[in-house]
Amino acid sequence: MANEIFMPKLSSTMAEGTVIEWFKEEGDTVEVGEPILEIMTDKINIEVESYNDGILLKKYFETDDVVPVNHVIGFIGEAGESVPDEAPGESSGADSDNGPEEAPSQSEQPEGHAKDSESKSELSGKRESMIGKVRATPAARAHARTNDVDIKQITGSGRNGRIHKADVVNHLSAQSKTPAKQAESVDAPVTEVTASQAATVQTEKLRGSRKVTADRMADSSATIPHVTLNFEVEMEPLIELRKDLNEKYKDVKVSFNDLFILIASKALVLHPDVNITFKDNEISYHEERNISLAVAVEKELFVPVVKNTEKMGLFGISKESRRLIEDTRSRKLSQEDMTGGTFTISNLGMYSITSFTPIINKPQAAILGIGATTEQPTLRDGVLHNRKIATLSLSFDHRVINGAPAAAFCDTVKKLTENPIELIL
Amino acid sequence: MREITYLEAVREALSQEMRQNEDVYMLGEDIGVYGGAFGVSRGMIEEFGPERIRNTPISEAAISGAAIGSALTGMRPILELQFSDFITIAMDNLANQAAKIRYMYGGKGTIPIVVRTPSGSGTGAAAQHSQSLEAWVAHIPGLKVVQPSSASDAKGLLKAAMDDDNPVIFYEHKLLYKTSEDVPEEQYSIPLGKADIKREGTDATIVATGVMVHRALEAAGKLAEKGIEAEVVDPRTLVPFDVETVVESVKKTGRLLVVHEAVKFGGIGGEITSIVAESEAFDYLDHPIRRLGAAFVPVPYNPTLEKAAIPSVEEIIANVGEMVNYQSEEE
Repeated sequence: MANEIFMPKLSSTMAEGTVIEWFKEEGDTVEVGEPILEIMTDKINIEVESYNDGILLKKYFETDDVVPVNHVIGFIGEAGESVPDEAPGESSGADSDNGPEEAPSQSEQPEGHAKDSESKSELSGKRESMIGKVRATPAARAHARTNDVDIKQITGSGRNGRIHKADVVNHLSAQSKTPAKQAESVDAPVTEVTASQAATVQTEKLRGSRKVTADRMADSSATIPHVTLNFEVEMEPLIELRKDLNEKYKDVKVSFNDLFILIASKALVLHPDVNITFKDNEISYHEERNISLAVAVEKELFVPVVKNTEKMGLFGISKESRRLIEDTRSRKLSQEDMTGGTFTISNLGMYSITSFTPIINKPQAAILGIGATTEQPTLRDGVLHNRKIATLSLSFDHRVINGAPAAAFCDTVKKLTENPIELIL
Repeated sequence: MREITYLEAVREALSQEMRQNEDVYMLGEDIGVYGGAFGVSRGMIEEFGPERIRNTPISEAAISGAAIGSALTGMRPILELQFSDFITIAMDNLANQAAKIRYMYGGKGTIPIVVRTPSGSGTGAAAQHSQSLEAWVAHIPGLKVVQPSSASDAKGLLKAAMDDDNPVIFYEHKLLYKTSEDVPEEQYSIPLGKADIKREGTDATIVATGVMVHRALEAAGKLAEKGIEAEVVDPRTLVPFDVETVVESVKKTGRLLVVHEAVKFGGIGGEITSIVAESEAFDYLDHPIRRLGAAFVPVPYNPTLEKAAIPSVEEIIANVGEMVNYQSEEE
């Protein structure tokens, strides 16, 4: 009996994975523990290792194919063993995994609870995506057809994700808002543009981490009432401090990110009401100051977390953030490295950005954006000075943080930035 | 206009027709002095005499055979079968003779008979006296099938049935005999094949037959309190079936629930839902069609079980509620 290779479920939120690369061809011999292929989840890339000795009999998916978790990717067995010609879908072992009551080996299954919460309907929904069909009522289909909408783009609100007419109507009204704005700024008629550009336009389907980022941004932006406070800080003291440190401790090399992580961490200690997460109508206040840092890698965005900054000094933060950034760039971030954040910093200071409105990293409640430092004429005691000024922007979730406490937090950040000596207090 | 019962409306339709058409006569078991099993013909033998209100032996085969024979000679007989369950004994005459003769003889002979027969459960009459077998006869080309749900419908539909030159199976419901409403005094005819929208609504269509029309109306009233407007359509005749009214209603509401008292499996509900699924209303359906019918068991004698076996107002409310508020199904 040939053994299944299936798409592993690596986190409670992982629904599908993308095949990145096969290391073995059909017919190759594989050993236990040997990497067979690399997959990409919504968060990380990982190698799938063989659980069995034998011959790779079948590969059902190629590079870039997206496979639902627990679905069979291929088979390992003895030469000449027969395997299905078509991908058989869900792994035969998946059902027993999902039924903890019936699985005596549950103790070996650390994710038993996460799987427990998976409803039957979710499984059935996966089956639909497996056969490439959409569950929609005739009325929804007819409405999508007459309005020229791809029904696959619509999220269904009914049982098992079934798309009802109301979902199509909502999708259309949501759509009509955005293109309407664009149309105002485009002079040429839209139809002409699309017709003439059709040949030169390249399309790219969002996958993996980019899809996750897109979904989370949309969700956060749509569900959180964001308020952004902009405030200016004088940067000379921080610039001087960094210069001094980096001259004295050449092997450390402190970055502005590190300094702002320290500043945020300190400010969060003073303002515990900002160091919160908000989920299911419940606010969690965190002892730990776990600062997420937005890191761009080519087209992708990751937010690794510097944990327990309240217990760290500047050098500790610097070391950990450098490790995280390097791991992000080499795509080695672990699941652990990307979870548990309580506050986020997004630094665009290296670009000519004066200020921006960062989007909150759910379930966190606030995010600090850092703009570029520029020279500005500033009045102090009636005398005009030339100062290096940066604009910081704090977006906060107005459901759980009010304007005054958020402003007080900003004041603290400003004070700590302009008087970094206070960081040691 | 005055308020009379369903039973009185049937009797009035019969009497008015018999007064003006000498070819019409009635035959059945104990329909004379006794007035029939449910008293529909009470008093009629006094007015029309034993020649036209004819008591028969206890043989549905004999009643149906005699009726078909006399119909062939030009009479327009009305048969009463005490319980519609006994139609099984008349079935050869109805299915193989009455339904076929007009076709097999190229229209040279017609069988203008009306088979009046009470159906349905709810009276504690047990498995052999409580069935709803209308889907059996609806399956036979050549028979028309009528199921009035109210007194005024019963009077008008019975007039149309008596005027029709084809055999008509006219199902009266035992539980409806005592219901009453305003019924016009004069003769009038409601065409066979014309459904009636008993209550207008926009959110879901309930197609209900017989006594279920009343359950559906009660359910619709309660649903309206929750803000759900259900449309209740009574086909009134199963053959011919008013496709247009049902299809237009489903096009309007996007949801269809069919409710009948007969056993769900193989019931007329399957036909009605298929008609809708095959029609242009398909593209308007915003929820899977649902059916409610009796459990697949002989009607129980135990009153609690008898009640539980057939669709209730609560079930109708629950189903329509789920179909309209489909998002909450996963709760």
